[in-house]
Amino acid sequence: MTETTTPKRGVSLWVQIVIWAFIVGLLALVGVTLSKRQQGTVQPGDEIPDFTLPLFSGYEYEGRSEVSLSEFRGKVVVLNFWASWCKPCEQEAAELEEAWRTYKDSGQVVFLGADYVDTEPEARAYLRKFDITFYNGPDMGTRISQLFRIRGVPETYFIDPDGVLYYVKVGPFLSVDEIKSVIEQKLP
Amino acid sequence: MLAEFGYGVLLVSFVVTVYSGIAAFYGVRSKSSALVESARRAQLLTFPLITISSITLIYLLVNNHFEVSFVYEVTSRSMPTYLKVTAWWGGQAGSLVFWSWLLAVFTSAVTLRKWDRDAEFLPWVIVISSITLTFFLGMIVVFENPFTRFWLSNGEVVPSMFRPSANATIFTPNDGQGLNPLLRHPGMIIHPPMLYLGFVAYVIPYAFAMAALITGRTDDRWTRITRRWSLWAWLFLSLGLVLGGRWAYDVLGWGGYWGWDPVEIAAFMPWLTGTALLHSVMIQEKRGMLKHWNMILVILTYSLVIFGTFLTRSGVLSSVHSFANSPIGPFFMGFVTLTLVSSVALLIWRWPELKGETEMKSMLSREALFLLNNLLFMSILVVCFWGVIYPLISELATGQKVTVGPPYYERATGPLFAGLLFLMAIAPLSAWGHSTVQTLGRAIWKSALAALVVTGVLFATYTQNIYAVVGFFLVALVLFATAHEFWRGARARQKAQGENIFAALGRLMGRNRRRYGGYIIHISMALMAIGILGIEIFQTETQGTVASGEKIAIGDYVVEYRELASWDSPGEGVNYTRAVVDIYENGIYLGQLYPRIDFYYDSQQNMTIPGQRSTFRDDLYILLVDWQPVSSIGATFKIYVNPLVNWMWIGSITFLFGLIYAAWPDRDPADAPARRKVTAGNRQTSAAD
Repeated sequence: MTETTTPKRGVSLWVQIVIWAFIVGLLALVGVTLSKRQQGTVQPGDEIPDFTLPLFSGYEYEGRSEVSLSEFRGKVVVLNFWASWCKPCEQEAAELEEAWRTYKDSGQVVFLGADYVDTEPEARAYLRKFDITFYNGPDMGTRISQLFRIRGVPETYFIDPDGVLYYVKVGPFLSVDEIKSVIEQKLP
Repeated sequence: MLAEFGYGVLLVSFVVTVYSGIAAFYGVRSKSSALVESARRAQLLTFPLITISSITLIYLLVNNHFEVSFVYEVTSRSMPTYLKVTAWWGGQAGSLVFWSWLLAVFTSAVTLRKWDRDAEFLPWVIVISSITLTFFLGMIVVFENPFTRFWLSNGEVVPSMFRPSANATIFTPNDGQGLNPLLRHPGMIIHPPMLYLGFVAYVIPYAFAMAALITGRTDDRWTRITRRWSLWAWLFLSLGLVLGGRWAYDVLGWGGYWGWDPVEIAAFMPWLTGTALLHSVMIQEKRGMLKHWNMILVILTYSLVIFGTFLTRSGVLSSVHSFANSPIGPFFMGFVTLTLVSSVALLIWRWPELKGETEMKSMLSREALFLLNNLLFMSILVVCFWGVIYPLISELATGQKVTVGPPYYERATGPLFAGLLFLMAIAPLSAWGHSTVQTLGRAIWKSALAALVVTGVLFATYTQNIYAVVGFFLVALVLFATAHEFWRGARARQKAQGENIFAALGRLMGRNRRRYGGYIIHISMALMAIGILGIEIFQTETQGTVASGEKIAIGDYVVEYRELASWDSPGEGVNYTRAVVDIYENGIYLGQLYPRIDFYYDSQQNMTIPGQRSTFRDDLYILLVDWQPVSSIGATFKIYVNPLVNWMWIGSITFLFGLIYAAWPDRDPADAPARRKVTAGNRQTSAAD
């Protein structure tokens, strides 16, 4: 950067190596990320790695403010990504809640709502507005949505009792029956 | 028919652009000036061609041609005509056409200039700009065609440019989805074009820099030709950023103007290098130094423009601003690679020839302080770049993506911005070549004393927050030191020329537009800093659900909820829900505010419009969050008090004024060096340099 008066000199080999290594590294990093993004969401048949969802107060699971996927082995997990700013989410909000109330007491199905890129007051207002009672919490740092490589909201993921993804719904559900029929596939 | 026409014209422009690049390349290789001239004319032709294609697209947008998928996605019947026109840049495909059109405007303008003194640059400038334009047009023609139509083929609706099967017929939806309501704000209508103008305008300095590297003409000719381009590019980019901030403040409903979102940072990074370039180019012109550095900055700025656009549009970075996942990713990636690799290779190749003519003599000289300014800008760039790239690294390394939030950026860049403010105060006072602590001290002590007094008063009456106090001191220092500069220059001229002080000031500024325009920009930055300090340090917020007649208190303010009404406006396709609240400050009634939520039926989206009361001291900013549908039982409000934020917008307007003042064309900017010799004597006695 600072100029010198020494005779004309090229860029030293080491500096060149560092520069090219940096550029190659950067491009590789971006390239890999790009190809991941282009894969789309996780697919049915994939085993879902464990994740932890913090829960909003008032939406806790058995009094705990945090749940992990692994503790729901043996149950069907319905993971819904939503956001308060998302209008299509409102289309399915009442249906999801109704489906939850159907299975709530069976103990075989768990509904989790992951609030994607949102602020808590807005999210709470949304939950109140649709009288939602299933477990809900913020997808902190979009970790869970990245795990599932979601493209947007709403998206809903159905995980079977063995922790394997078996159904993906992109976009809102149109009816309660649609949700139920997917759940029933994995119930005894 | 029209869609085919528009697409056909795009194809022709693509071919013409490719030809222009190839002809210029072979023209310079075979020393055929006829071929270069042909390339130049082809380049000129791209402007009318893309204009025709754009007009076709706008015609389709304005006339509800919903069989065209782009028109369907971004407009609807209920949108007013001006919004339909601006929908041109409201979606990915259209904004790429818009971008290409701007590029054609700039490259045509630059090929029209007088080239006799720098004929060797011409073919290479054409080659570089043609490659860029080819890339953008190629992206449109192959991946993101705005003229794609819907076809009904075998009972299915498919988007396609041409008839997908023999029996397919065109399918026209009844109405479009409409532009995202968030994008219907006046700020948003001008914000993207400004940003694009800034981005695209940087192609020209870059093309000249590359031409200089390729031809080996490494004097400062390229900086002299392009400095006004860089200034205008910087103007548009800055304006784009400021308008984006204003839009966010008015529309996004989080009581702020800047959220350190990846898309914002992607636009901010070229601004940082562009600002550094504006300063360091001056050193090259005045002292013949930093030639390497300026090349690096031009390459960085342009690469960051391309890289940032790529990151945000390919879906690599997730963001609230995100464009839909689109197939342009790998193609764009190729272009980014080409740009980065070829620029760096050229730079390394010519490195030995870009030698400085003088050495740095003093650590306090103007050039040394400019260099320090550049280092600070680069540090902020590194912070931003790391924040953007870190989630990718982390995702790759740990499999989990993290987002880097505002606190990281604020903590990391805060001291750097403070350093920039300090430099802004002292650098204009230091001399080129040589300065000492004594000379600088003599120049600044009065301003420093005045700033201390002001800070003392603020400390006693307004705030004891240490960050705020330091911030206000620096702001005051910049304001006093800069004002002092104006005063000193005008006094010197008044004595030398016997003019009255205002005439002296006017003439002084008129003779040194870039210098005094720059000072006005410094002042504006200090004013903006007041706003930023206000919102970063003193912002308060509260939220509450209240029934009609109940109150929420925040600071000195009390907000009383009166009533709420909800109604449809069928003509606009909007449902309005508007709350009425009374505002009191220390018990005194101030008036009413009307926060509202607009629901747009066509795009099924909400838009939150805050109720704002704005003064020089603070903004009271009220959002309607939620309400009970049955009359006005209760409503939820989120309330912010944003102290001093208005100075942000006052600073922005000052900034615009200073920039236009500095960038306003003199008679012929490219001939400036010749004139400078004649006037050199005057300039030195006028204390202007």
